[in-house]
Amino acid sequence: MREKIFRSILNVTIVVLISGLLLFTIVLTHYYSGIQRKQLKDKLSLAALGVEQQGLHYLSQMGEDEDRITWIAKDGSILFDNHADIDKMGNHSDREEVKEAMETGVGSSRRHSITLTRNTVYEAVLLSDQTVLRISMDQISTLALLWGLIQPFGIILLLVVAIVYYVAEKLADQIMQPLDLIDLEHPLEEESYEEMAPFLNQIYHQKKQIKKQGKELDLRKLEFEQVVSHMREGLVLLNTNNQVLSINPAAMEIFQTTEKCIGADILSVERKQKFISAIEKAKEQGHSEIRLEKNNREYQFDISSICTKKGNGGFIILAFDITEQRNAEKMRREFSANVSHELKTPLQSIIGSAELMKTGIVKEEDIPRFIGHIHTEASRLVVLIEDIIRLSELDEEGEIQKEEVSLHQVATEVLLSLREKAEKQKVTLQLKGSQGIIPGVYRLLHEVIYNLCENAIKYNIEGGKVVVKIEDREQQASISVEDTGIGIPLEHQERVFERFYRVDKSHSKKTGGTGLGLSIVKHAVGYHNGKIDLFSREGKGTTVMIWFPKN
Amino acid sequence: MMRSRFDEELLMLNKELIEMGALCEDAIELVAKALETNDADIYKVVRPISVEIDHKERDIESRCMKLLLQQQPVARDLRQISAALKMITDMERIGDQAEDIAEIIGYLKGENLNSSVPVQEMARAAIKIVTESIDAYVNKDIVLAEAILKEDDIIDEYFMESKRRLIKMVAENPATGEYALDLLMITKYFERIGDHATNIAEWVIFSVTGEHEDA
Repeated sequence: MREKIFRSILNVTIVVLISGLLLFTIVLTHYYSGIQRKQLKDKLSLAALGVEQQGLHYLSQMGEDEDRITWIAKDGSILFDNHADIDKMGNHSDREEVKEAMETGVGSSRRHSITLTRNTVYEAVLLSDQTVLRISMDQISTLALLWGLIQPFGIILLLVVAIVYYVAEKLADQIMQPLDLIDLEHPLEEESYEEMAPFLNQIYHQKKQIKKQGKELDLRKLEFEQVVSHMREGLVLLNTNNQVLSINPAAMEIFQTTEKCIGADILSVERKQKFISAIEKAKEQGHSEIRLEKNNREYQFDISSICTKKGNGGFIILAFDITEQRNAEKMRREFSANVSHELKTPLQSIIGSAELMKTGIVKEEDIPRFIGHIHTEASRLVVLIEDIIRLSELDEEGEIQKEEVSLHQVATEVLLSLREKAEKQKVTLQLKGSQGIIPGVYRLLHEVIYNLCENAIKYNIEGGKVVVKIEDREQQASISVEDTGIGIPLEHQERVFERFYRVDKSHSKKTGGTGLGLSIVKHAVGYHNGKIDLFSREGKGTTVMIWFPKN
Repeated sequence: MMRSRFDEELLMLNKELIEMGALCEDAIELVAKALETNDADIYKVVRPISVEIDHKERDIESRCMKLLLQQQPVARDLRQISAALKMITDMERIGDQAEDIAEIIGYLKGENLNSSVPVQEMARAAIKIVTESIDAYVNKDIVLAEAILKEDDIIDEYFMESKRRLIKMVAENPATGEYALDLLMITKYFERIGDHATNIAEWVIFSVTGEHEDA
């Protein structure tokens, strides 16, 4: 800015200066040469008068310091010259001014010296005796004048540069001051040049837009961070060099690492060969999956390479906890294996008995025993299938209409129907406590209490006791079934609710269960959002407590 | 410019060391699993890993040599490289010993290992200590490294216990002699693996603090 102003002022000044100088010298030389000529003419007429009257005598008074006067005879020879030796001068009749004077009476001419630095001006007049008197005078030429002026002009130029510099500085400051004062944060608040208004407006609007976009970006970022950090799945972003760009809390938990790993190689987070080669595979094929066990849980890692226009842009690693899924799969596998086994055993037994009778090996008197056997096994099969159906109903069933059910009433009915069985086992039954009214499905609750009481009788000792107690609380009702039976060993307690799980591995037919009872209980309680607890000591007895919420 | 090349090389060295450590972990984990399942064919699986560990050792060695010659590192960088040179020796030994155990498992021909000797416990302890020593290296975790030095005593104790039980077993039934010796070898190898892991931990401490435990 400053330089530009300085340069343009300087340029203008120099152009003005030079053209001024040229004009000045031309006009000046012209003017002066006019004056000089007039003077010369006056002098000549004076001299002519003198020569006419006094002849050579007048001329001889002229010294060398006077203007040069030459007297030329009619034939062109020199009669007198006050500056040069007349003998050495040639014939002058061919000179322009002399010729002109001889013809018209007066003549004038101008001749340039070879160097062009001087002009000589001649004036000639024809005297009465036909001789010519000539006067000449040296004049400085325009060029010479110019040459002479260059030095002072240079000094002036230097002065001009200094002044222009100073002025430019001042001017630039003056121009810049309002610009400097513009607050770019709030461009429209300060008064400024009118010419700047469009820019300032533009800046103002862009500023507003940037602010808005920045806010939006921040919001997006926050949203993303919130989503990522609250995600249950682990998320890790890697760049092309396998360095961690970002890792969410879930992933930190999975990999047992901290934020320190950001920027480090993924190897320092997880160095399992399988994992690293999965990343390599994702690099080649764009996607790969791998299952790994970490901290006793099983995780599935989905690795995707990020494709950009420039090629690979890094990787996204998503980690899912599939422990539950794996357990469920395992349980389903076990369940189907168990179902087939449980169904096959009684059938095998039935087929065996039937075959024996068919071949006629069985004696007549044994036939009722065999048929009885087939009957028990078949009924066992029916019970089992009923249980399985009930269980799968519970699995499949959606919402069943709930109604007010009194636990006490259900328990009373259950105990009534089990009385016979209890008497057979010599077990006494007892029901205590309050009503325990909860919203529920009667059929399912009956199932729960029946199964628990049946177990309590079945696994009791002779002369034992079963106590069913119902308690009301503000938020929930509880029912506990306590027996004095054989109890469940500690290592089995966690698993008794699994399908077909039996404490007694021999699947003894003595007790005649299907191994599905407690599983049904668990499901039905879960349906009512209830909670089951099991307390048991081997040889002392078992207590099952269930809490049902009241709302 | 030179400097950033050097830093990059150091990062590569670090990466390769972690990879080699991961291979060692894989090898002994496989061996431990084979001990549980009595898998007599484990040698075929462990052998290639051991070979790969050997290759890694050569690679890292030449990388270290190149760095030492070309960059003439000092102070911390020098410590890191010299510690790496020592650590790969220990890691290579761990790989070899895992391979040796795998070979012995082959000799046992599926004979029951779940005997009175605490082989499984030793295997678990060895995996733990090797994993921790590599973790200590990865995270430059001196606290963990120092904890490892104490942990090795547990494995030593297991070894002494195994020895006592095996002596008793042979005294009661001289016919089990060969079996007992094989088991003794396995426990000894685990004990050595523990020692090598301890060495690694010591070099981790050295590379960070500049002080070596034995000094």
